[in-house]
Amino acid sequence: MMLAVLVAYALLYASPYGLRVLTVAGVYALAAVGFQIVFGLGGALSLAHGAFFGLGAYATGILGSQWGWGFAATFPVSLLVPLLLALLVGLPVLRLESHYFALATLGIAQVVHLLAVNSPGLTGGANGLPGVPGIVLFGWAVPRGLPLAAVVWGFVALGGLLAWSLARGRWGRALTLVRDDPLAAGTLGLDVGGLRLAAFALSAVYAGAAGALAVHTQRVVSPEVLEFPVMVSVLTIAVVGGRGRVAGAILGAVLLLHLPEWFRFLERSYLIVYGVALLATIVLAPHGLTGLLDRLFPARPAPLPMPAAPPDIAVPNGPLLRVEGLTKGFGGVRAVDGVSLTLEAGTITGLIGPNGSGKTTLVNLISGLETPDGGRVLMGGADLAGRRPDRIARAGIARTFQAVSLPDAASVLAAVAAARLERDGSIAQAEAHALWALERLGAADLAAKPCAGLPAALRRRVELARALARQPAVLLLDEPAAGLTDGEKAELAGHLRAIAATGTALLVVEHDMGFLLPLAGHVLCLDQGRPLYAGPPEGVRSDPAVVAAYLGEGA
Amino acid sequence: MITLQLLVNGLALGAAYALVALGFVLVLNATAAVNFAQGDLVMAGGMLGVALAPHLPDHLPLPGLLLLPVVLTLMAGLGLLLAAAAYLPLRRRPPVAVFISTIAAGIILQNGASVLFGPEPRAAPPLLGGGTLDLGGLVVAEQSLAIIAVAALLIAGQQWLFGRTQLGRRLRATAQDPEMARACGVPVTAMILITFALGTAFAGAAGLLLANRYFVTPTAGGDLILKAYIAVTIGGWGSVPGAVAGALLIALFEVGVSSVLSYPVALGLLYATLLVILVARPQGLFGEAARRRA
Repeated sequence: MMLAVLVAYALLYASPYGLRVLTVAGVYALAAVGFQIVFGLGGALSLAHGAFFGLGAYATGILGSQWGWGFAATFPVSLLVPLLLALLVGLPVLRLESHYFALATLGIAQVVHLLAVNSPGLTGGANGLPGVPGIVLFGWAVPRGLPLAAVVWGFVALGGLLAWSLARGRWGRALTLVRDDPLAAGTLGLDVGGLRLAAFALSAVYAGAAGALAVHTQRVVSPEVLEFPVMVSVLTIAVVGGRGRVAGAILGAVLLLHLPEWFRFLERSYLIVYGVALLATIVLAPHGLTGLLDRLFPARPAPLPMPAAPPDIAVPNGPLLRVEGLTKGFGGVRAVDGVSLTLEAGTITGLIGPNGSGKTTLVNLISGLETPDGGRVLMGGADLAGRRPDRIARAGIARTFQAVSLPDAASVLAAVAAARLERDGSIAQAEAHALWALERLGAADLAAKPCAGLPAALRRRVELARALARQPAVLLLDEPAAGLTDGEKAELAGHLRAIAATGTALLVVEHDMGFLLPLAGHVLCLDQGRPLYAGPPEGVRSDPAVVAAYLGEGA
Repeated sequence: MITLQLLVNGLALGAAYALVALGFVLVLNATAAVNFAQGDLVMAGGMLGVALAPHLPDHLPLPGLLLLPVVLTLMAGLGLLLAAAAYLPLRRRPPVAVFISTIAAGIILQNGASVLFGPEPRAAPPLLGGGTLDLGGLVVAEQSLAIIAVAALLIAGQQWLFGRTQLGRRLRATAQDPEMARACGVPVTAMILITFALGTAFAGAAGLLLANRYFVTPTAGGDLILKAYIAVTIGGWGSVPGAVAGALLIALFEVGVSSVLSYPVALGLLYATLLVILVARPQGLFGEAARRRA
């Protein structure tokens, strides 16, 4: 529908100037669609997108005006150059968190700008290079006006379609989870670093394409394409339009590129309008224009899929998991100090100890969120110690967190389906398997509800379903009963027994002895990172060391 | 002697950078928010000096000195405005929201200045006379001495305020743990407003001081925010003395490299250093796991 409006607009307002503005809007729409991938979906505020845009522009400008290359050759190069820079700087820079990443990418952009201004031999320096040829498509020299606008918007349509299908698919869902909760994403088998890098690189390609089209529109390339206002425009378009939405990028670009026309009295400083629009949107409408439209015209909820049991994963013979001499220190304090344990198929092992005894650290070490200083984590003959969380998750270990983390914006079904993104072929299949896991915990009626606003007990249930949906061989639970009523605890104990009965090995960190001791077949007690007791649950209360260290503290 | 000359110039520049970085790190500590507008606030301080210059009374011996309290006061007010518009409504939202809102505030400042003053470089009046002093062959601009003296005074004042007064204790408590501070009866919102006012006033003072020696343009803030950021990164995130030391270090580096090679090379090397530090030691050269903050 939006496309029809645009076409009608282009034909009705076909003044050369109006078409030029529309063409430039298309250029920025393409850049913003790419920016939505890394910023909107991936949550990384890249300030290098002006640089990627400028690199695409300079690649086309230099090759076209100085070397006489045609569009068919310059356009791919304009995609390739930003891609290469993104891959080069992406690996180290993407590890940085939020504003470190933003300012590091701004630093990259400033370096590229400095190089362009100070290499007059190559770039024409501050004056830039004139004489960039127009677009030639299959032998047809695209004239300015309506044809150029149509070609640019053709690229927007292509790029938009690709980005839209990616965002709706498994990859987009995975990226969103990486944005909302990178720790959980890793433990659900998603390669956080790889997803971020791919998003960064792909969005750089979009920026390069937009930069190339911008230069073909202007017929000159100058350092302006590398200056901060380009970045500001792309960011503003994405935020005002609606973060993460392709439609938002297009809507934002058309609106914001036309705003200065309505605010002509501001002359050159139309960017004030951008600043005000950006500030107002962030404060008043965090989901942007598409968010407002969604509220006016709410989408009908999709029908629930038929639940389907996910395929079992191969379970090795013998003990499922053997931990040997695991050690971890934080600045001189031994948080975990030579802990060994064995988890057999179908058993429930309790892990207890006073606060700060290293229980959660042990779970983090096994699931790969912390790197051990020493020791081994053996599963089916392979040592998992020190591997990345997603590798460990793929080996068959799932976990829940002490502080339940669910993406607030997602529905319960989508949140649980995140556990299957790495394994299943499609979203539909992942959701069918997710519904199966919810059903198994008696929580299928929650499927369509949003995660935000769920009471604590149900959040824990949903998180358990998410771990269960992975069909894990080993399930690590960090205080699953915290905050539950007695009735809910009894119900949870029943569910955990049922999960163990299917052959999964459970390791349960818990403070509530009344809940844990009847449930566990084996109990390990830690104190200051060291094993204090390992044996049957009946022995815990009578073990003098445990009583002294722990039960005496009022359990 | 040339080296000594460079050292004095570097110290003066570094003293101004230190004010910028100090304001940045105070707000960062109190709110865990990165104030991206800090560079543009420096520019705003300089432009205020430019705007006020025609109104200075010329019958006083050092009319420029009047600028300092006026600019500090006006900038503190601007800081309150910034906090009210770009921070307080977003404090329950992810840090990136504040980051973007301060980018927006910076854009508004930058382009507002461009409308009012045009793109040409402008100079603010000097605080002391505009001349130079000859200290046994070492020629020092009076403004350089003014920069060093004002920065030293303001930094010492900040240290005294935070270290010795009841208000300072409350400000520190807010920076350390706002929830805990609130539970102890500290009016956290007021403390945050004061911190923004202080940080913005420091940026404004730096802008006023620099705009006489180095001129000011509406877009001058872009490089300054990165320099403040580099100073804070070198000094370790969240460390006040670290930010001051980092600012002095990068100013000396900038002046040194500029004199031997050129300013663009110095700037490029600074940014490259930033990237290397971030990748190798994201917690800063002297900082400890401050990375987990914010």
